[in-house]
Amino acid sequence: MRLKVNGKEVEAKEGALLLEVAPVPTLCHHPHTETRGVCRLCLVEVNGRLAPACATEVREGMEVRTDTEGLKALRRTLLEWLALTTDLSLAPGLLGLMAAYGAEPGRWKEAPSRRGRPPIRDNPFFLRDYAKCVNCRRCVDACGDGIMGVYALTLAGRGLQAHPTTPLDRPLPETPCVFCGNCVQVCPTGALRPLALEVG
Amino acid sequence: MMRTTCPYCGVGCQVEPEVREGRVVRVLAPDLPPNHGALCVKGRFGLDFPFSGKRLLYPMVRERKGAPLRRATWEEALDFAAGKLLEVLRRKGPGGIAVFPSAKTTNEEVYLAQKLARALLSTHNVDHCSRLCHSSSTAALSRSLGGASMTNPIEDVWKTDLFLVVGSNTTETHPVIAAMIKKRVRQGARMIVVDPRYTGMAEAATLWLRVRPGTDVFLLNAMARYLLEEGLWDRAYVEARTEGFAEWRASLEGYTLEAAQEVTGVPKEGIAEAARLYATTERAGAYWAMGVTQHTKGTATAQALVNLALLTGKVGKEGAGLNPLRGQNNVQGAGDMGALPDVYPGYLRVAEEGPRRRFEALWGVPLPEAPGLRMTEVFAAIPEVEAIYLIGEDPVTSEPYQDHVKEKLLALPFLVVQDILENETTPFADVVLPAASFLEKEGTFTNTDRRVQRVRKLLDPPGEARPDWWITQELGKRLAQALGRPWPTYPGPETIWEEVRRAIPEMVGGISYARLEAQGVRWPCPEEGHPGEAVLFREGFNTPTGKARFFPAPYTPPAETPSPDYPLTLSTGRVLFHWHGGTLSRNSQLNQAYPELKVEVNPIDAKRLGLEDGEPVYVVSRRGRIRARAWVTERTPEGVVYAPFHFAEAPANRLTLDALDPVSRIPEYKVSAVRLEKAD
Repeated sequence: MRLKVNGKEVEAKEGALLLEVAPVPTLCHHPHTETRGVCRLCLVEVNGRLAPACATEVREGMEVRTDTEGLKALRRTLLEWLALTTDLSLAPGLLGLMAAYGAEPGRWKEAPSRRGRPPIRDNPFFLRDYAKCVNCRRCVDACGDGIMGVYALTLAGRGLQAHPTTPLDRPLPETPCVFCGNCVQVCPTGALRPLALEVG
Repeated sequence: MMRTTCPYCGVGCQVEPEVREGRVVRVLAPDLPPNHGALCVKGRFGLDFPFSGKRLLYPMVRERKGAPLRRATWEEALDFAAGKLLEVLRRKGPGGIAVFPSAKTTNEEVYLAQKLARALLSTHNVDHCSRLCHSSSTAALSRSLGGASMTNPIEDVWKTDLFLVVGSNTTETHPVIAAMIKKRVRQGARMIVVDPRYTGMAEAATLWLRVRPGTDVFLLNAMARYLLEEGLWDRAYVEARTEGFAEWRASLEGYTLEAAQEVTGVPKEGIAEAARLYATTERAGAYWAMGVTQHTKGTATAQALVNLALLTGKVGKEGAGLNPLRGQNNVQGAGDMGALPDVYPGYLRVAEEGPRRRFEALWGVPLPEAPGLRMTEVFAAIPEVEAIYLIGEDPVTSEPYQDHVKEKLLALPFLVVQDILENETTPFADVVLPAASFLEKEGTFTNTDRRVQRVRKLLDPPGEARPDWWITQELGKRLAQALGRPWPTYPGPETIWEEVRRAIPEMVGGISYARLEAQGVRWPCPEEGHPGEAVLFREGFNTPTGKARFFPAPYTPPAETPSPDYPLTLSTGRVLFHWHGGTLSRNSQLNQAYPELKVEVNPIDAKRLGLEDGEPVYVVSRRGRIRARAWVTERTPEGVVYAPFHFAEAPANRLTLDALDPVSRIPEYKVSAVRLEKAD
């Protein structure tokens, strides 16, 4: 089917996501964890209305804009708030996007932050450092429906208190966790990282 | 980032290890087949064994029995090994020597080691660890279908609507395939699991049949008989594509549902339902592992699965097939490369003239006609067999009846051990040759679904360790010189692979290193332009008639049954965090997650013995005793204890017996009689 992206005609297969034909930044989306629509960084305008490109299928005749001033301002603000509330020091992808969108977190002054959360070291293999977590859900879905079907991770709390954790906050070795580290692989911010990286 | 292939199980996951200052700091997986970014704990966190303090760093020799192993130069060690082998060859003839290539080494290395045995030592006494693993599956599959591998590719999981999983603890032993199967079940496929233990697969199953250990063949035969009675079989398929049907059908007489319930302990309604589901689902695939094969009736049990699949027309179709899940990273390749006593590379029969002529022409030597001894037979034949060249294997931990194996190794006049790490067998060696690990050499592994994949060098070997292909080549050079036989010098693994392509073009002729740069390619792949076959036997089978053959698969009781003194059944196997004899996993980070032996004991048995969860306990068989910690759990049924065999200090194989399957000569690791004693 045919649609227009930023004024140009493009061809797409039925069932394809807008993400596959429209150039947009992403954060929560991952092909194997099936996470979508959480972070809002990939919002585009479809016939004048906002829609997440990672969760919207292409339709014949769609008019899609990915880079209006409004969208740029929205992404910039989203990035600024991520940076205000989260330690992004191990997220080179997001730091790159911040530079590209001219993000200046300082203009919002102070905000409640996750940065104070102490890292959790409860197993021989990897660290859970939720000061660096942006709640993208990739880890939760990699552990659950997306890849493993193990369900050792879940999301708890609301708003800025929300964060991934284990059922009943148990240490990982007391959960069904099989330590496959697929959560570590899909984590975009370094919140989950191998202990081997820490030593030395 | 350099891409290579995981050295643990047969799934063959693609990995990108990040090495910093001599340590693996992170392992990521690329979005490529077969694993598409997913890994298990072993691939993700267990690739640090090459940095273990137990690495063998220089060659060693023991000049006479009783003397200590001493450090030697490569020249000295290789000259010494070659001299001793030639001495045995002169005195005993070719039958006095056996060569065991390793399913952990590359295709190129296995090919070279079996070539050394056949072309230089004139013996077909060549075998590998598959003897202890899937030899019963390959025996049944070879005689029925003319092929010894999974018939369907791993990605057929996504096209399968019913999984019949028999004796496979897939979530722990092939975790990445298990995750795929479980996801497919979440999408709506159904799964029948046949297993005495409540494994992760049983937990995810639509229908779990808790058979008594060693009775699977009775259950499978009863399913077939029931389907014949109900008319739920594929008459057109059986008539067009099979032979031996009438004789096999007659052999099923006694396998009624009632008798099956009595023998297997599974309610007959469950057996009937499983049979109906399997027969009436178009895309139904059978998957199995050691629960089927490691019995004195292992070949019969694998055969019963083959028969059932043929009866219902499931072979040669997408999303179906017969799929033995292979254990070692390159166990498929080791068989493909001819590390077997009865076949050359490409499964060409040693006893047939055509294959012999082919390899005589290729190698420029006369070759013997009679097949050689199998691994279990070689150990039994010591000291008639006087010398063993053992590569990458720890028989003291992995063979059954450990005390007996140790006696045999003490009685063996000459043992060459080639390995990367010190293990329980190293002390018995007369020559120790230090090898390079998978991170330190080039080559290829072939995974469980016949995909040939690259292994790449990321690091230099430590100390004086050298790649296995280099060591075998240097040893061969010395033997060839003394024997006046040809032995080309290969500059590297790719040249060896080129010779393999010329040797068996019908299998791997189209697979070049250049092609493997992008991703792995499956055999059969006869030409460069060929994509590699995914589903085998779509048209015909690899048998002389092109038809698949039914074989009767009779039930026989296990070799050792419980008695008043030994009232419990011991089953052995693996756990998620460890690998076989433990040489790799126990020298890696993985050991921190599972540091000591735990024996699964059912709560009813525990109560009878007054045993609490976590208490120390002795497990005792007629052959020995080991100390373990009791894990009181309903995972294991009443009357059955389960012990993983990874722990050298508490070796489960001190307890197992060396009763063998008459066809494949596989040991009965899954059934021996034991008792528990409280340890204070």
